[in-house]
Amino acid sequence: MKRLAFFPGCLIPARHPAMEFAIRRTLERLDIDVVDLPGASCCPDPIYFKSKDKVAWLSVAARNLCLAEELGLDIFTNCSGCTATLSETYHLLQDPELRERVNQRLRRIGREYRGTIRVRHVATVVRDEVGYDAVRASVGRPLEGLKVAIHYGCHLLKPSAIMQVDNPDNPEVMERLVEALGATPVRHRNWYLCCGKACQSEQVPLHMMRDLLQTVHDEQAEILGMICPTCFGQFDHGQAKVSKEFGLDFHTPPVYYFQLLAFAQGVPYDDLGFERQRFKPEALRRFEAA
Amino acid sequence: MATDSDDLVRVDFAFRRELAEKVEGNLASFCYQCGACVGDCPSARYDPEFNPREIMLKVLYGLGSELMREDSILWRCTNCYSCHERCPQQVKPVEVIISLKNMLADRGIIPDTVEKVTHTFETTGRTVPYSPAIDKQRERYGLPPLPPVPMEEIRALLADEPTGGGDA
Repeated sequence: MKRLAFFPGCLIPARHPAMEFAIRRTLERLDIDVVDLPGASCCPDPIYFKSKDKVAWLSVAARNLCLAEELGLDIFTNCSGCTATLSETYHLLQDPELRERVNQRLRRIGREYRGTIRVRHVATVVRDEVGYDAVRASVGRPLEGLKVAIHYGCHLLKPSAIMQVDNPDNPEVMERLVEALGATPVRHRNWYLCCGKACQSEQVPLHMMRDLLQTVHDEQAEILGMICPTCFGQFDHGQAKVSKEFGLDFHTPPVYYFQLLAFAQGVPYDDLGFERQRFKPEALRRFEAA
Repeated sequence: MATDSDDLVRVDFAFRRELAEKVEGNLASFCYQCGACVGDCPSARYDPEFNPREIMLKVLYGLGSELMREDSILWRCTNCYSCHERCPQQVKPVEVIISLKNMLADRGIIPDTVEKVTHTFETTGRTVPYSPAIDKQRERYGLPPLPPVPMEEIRALLADEPTGGGDA
């Protein structure tokens, strides 16, 4: 059984506990030993805090990596933003000068970053440690015929040299993970667009989301398959905002992949927190009746 | 554009030196203005005023005053990292933009939304403010309350580096 330190971050544990529940539940079924990481802080976020002070950002991130180093375990995250912060820290701190500068700060709290562990995203943990076939074997009710539009988001894939997850121009990990549930992944025309959450402009995210949601709508996808909790918020409440702004009727419910996996493994629809979403994935109910 | 009275561009070398000292701030020096960063830039596509190649050009020219201001165009970057992916010179335009934002923050110029999130982090160690309702929700899924963050460690890490000392 593979043991890994779990870095849940802020957004999922605080805003979307059903996602955390689904991760713990599904990984247990897939024989991953999830080890908690006491004392972890925000990764810190790769948008706001990094914009304020990159050295302080690296130092706090390095402290989080230290916690896993002390356990001698690789660290995995469930949020693309946390993966970006921790992966970039691992990458940048291979530079001895910068590592020493960060370690000077870490010495204030009696810690030292050594660069001995790897950072993984939960999607790659499932791909590389479990495998698609084992995911398929864990599914109790295949989601046959369910059309899932995939939204990768940006930070899972880019920058690819640092993230080392998949080819950002033609990724497949999410498609394969969705196929393993028996569902049909759909790559819509604007699949590569960003959710816009990190852009401090009203107009850019609104217009970009409109174009993205239009191609999801054109494909008649029943749900949007999500892997990033920040994108998730943009596509749930944000989708209503885009519809209102442009007088359109977009209503494709976003579903975080591990909730979809939990449902396919047999967790009841009503136990997965979907009632808290603005757009509820009612399409899943038909698999429950079967 | 920063100009003298006779309309000559005046390069702000202090600005360039300050940027070069930021982590990855000096990468713009390698930019040869090919524009590979523009094609996949979502902000450039949806906002005619935003152009990462032009931002790198302003850096090369040392036109700091056009970037170091309230309502700076820098905040309209989506942080999508496409430019990082595309740049043949490994300039990492998004990282140069982030270093420029660090310079804005050093001057106390920071958008309210950014200030709000960073303040929450600096005071609680998380970016989502804690409330008892969160733990109630977590309990519903059999999850323990949010574990505490050792703030004394976080505060010690956030303190500025001593000047002239470890800031090399």
